[in-house]
Amino acid sequence: MNTMALGIRRGLIEQNSILRDRKELGTNIAGLVMYLMLILWIGRNPAGGGVDMTGFMTVGFVAFTVFSAGVMTLPMLIAADREEGALLRLRMLPRGVPVYITGRTVSLTLHIAVHSALMLAIGGAIGGVALPSSLYGWATLIWVLGLGALSVIPLGAMIGVMLPTAKAAAAAVGLPTMLLMIASGVMIPMTMMPAPVQWIAQIFPLYWQGHGLRAAFFDSPGGELHKTWELGTAAMVMGAWAAAGMVLAPWLLRRVTRK
Amino acid sequence: MDTVISVRGLRMSYGERQVLRGLDLDLRRGETVALLGPNGAGKTTTIEILQGLRTRAAGDVEVLGEDPARGADAWRARLGTVLQDWHDHPRWQVRTLLDHVAAHYPAPWDTDELLRTLGLEGHATARVRELSGGQRRRLDVGLGIVGRPELLFLDEPTTGFDPEARREFHELIESLDITILLTTHDLAEAERLADRVAVLLDGRIAIFGTPKEVAAAVQAPSLVRWRDGCERTDDPSGLAWRLHQRYGGPVPELEIRRPTLEESYLNLVERSAA
Repeated sequence: MNTMALGIRRGLIEQNSILRDRKELGTNIAGLVMYLMLILWIGRNPAGGGVDMTGFMTVGFVAFTVFSAGVMTLPMLIAADREEGALLRLRMLPRGVPVYITGRTVSLTLHIAVHSALMLAIGGAIGGVALPSSLYGWATLIWVLGLGALSVIPLGAMIGVMLPTAKAAAAAVGLPTMLLMIASGVMIPMTMMPAPVQWIAQIFPLYWQGHGLRAAFFDSPGGELHKTWELGTAAMVMGAWAAAGMVLAPWLLRRVTRK
Repeated sequence: MDTVISVRGLRMSYGERQVLRGLDLDLRRGETVALLGPNGAGKTTTIEILQGLRTRAAGDVEVLGEDPARGADAWRARLGTVLQDWHDHPRWQVRTLLDHVAAHYPAPWDTDELLRTLGLEGHATARVRELSGGQRRRLDVGLGIVGRPELLFLDEPTTGFDPEARREFHELIESLDITILLTTHDLAEAERLADRVAVLLDGRIAIFGTPKEVAAAVQAPSLVRWRDGCERTDDPSGLAWRLHQRYGGPVPELEIRRPTLEESYLNLVERSAA
């Protein structure tokens, strides 16, 4: 079997065995239940720009799914793979390293796709959240999701190889991720935040991920911080994170794995 | 072509600390060699260099005719490894994991046949984390040999085993007809599995031979025990003769115990530390 096919198969098996894991399934369902309760509770409130909180939070949860898959799920998976010995085993197999990287990319992409689809389906069924109606909206959705993932995956890989255990990874990234979730305008509209928080949040890719996705789903930028769609800035900030990560991650990986 | 591993003058240091200082080692095709030595003697470092996971400071190393530092996938496919303390792929099913690892190799074992050989045919659909310690180690051996390697590395394979799991493991290893380099702290295990034993002390191979040759070369004392006493001596026959004369006949409850590999080994380590 060629390397790419073997890597894809590895990713499918990984994701399948995570989905069948009771603990993992519990965590995933708990996240969806939290989302469901929030939209039932405050979903009818306006979020600005003619969008209600259901639509706002559905898109926000999708943005946060991409972000947390990169900076939380991925480091914990990598740290666990190292702690348990999977990384060492793969290093000793012929073609093991490219198969591992392909497999992780496939499993993470599936994780993001399944979660996003579930939340969009729930939001659509309960809160009437509509998918993008134009080709332009779909194009925006796809590049924002792709670039958003690229901006956090190398970062997450770096966190994963630096932290010794999955527990340490969860402890180190859990709190900062939650703070960014609150501060980045994906759950609570950014206009309600104090100015210093707004400035800090705009440095990180999560704010721009959310902004770009809202541009794909909603027509009016009336609820946005600057009352206009800033897709150029979104592309630049997420692109800068992606570029920095893709330069630094291979360098750091070589340093950490060299013996 | 009959030499599988050839090492000449291997050197390695971590910072100021010299771990290996001129190590020589040869493995012939088909033999099992046990690498013994105290903790920190450099056993794991040696194996990691032979596997191409670690870069050596100096020396000539050939494994299956190639320099491990430049070993490509085709070379790696001819090696197998079983390390201590693997807990990987806990959520995967046993058969799925064996199939997946097998797919990395050009001519792997048939999975069903391997499961039978490992005695795991009843656990094919179990999740890996549900296996007992002994079953998990047998799976590790399976993952190490699934690619039909010519050379197998076993790093302290039975640490933490109960006696039954240890015996099952030994029987499995003895049934394999390949070249094996084994590190262990269990001297009885080395004596049972190994054709030859190499003792690593102070970064060199202090002695290399069959367990009997090692015992003879080290000349650890034999233990002579009888009803009224007990003595360690390098000349048990002479002592027995003197006792015979002293008692004026058969020595009551006479017992002479030749040194085991363990005693020879400990003797050697103590001497080197002195």
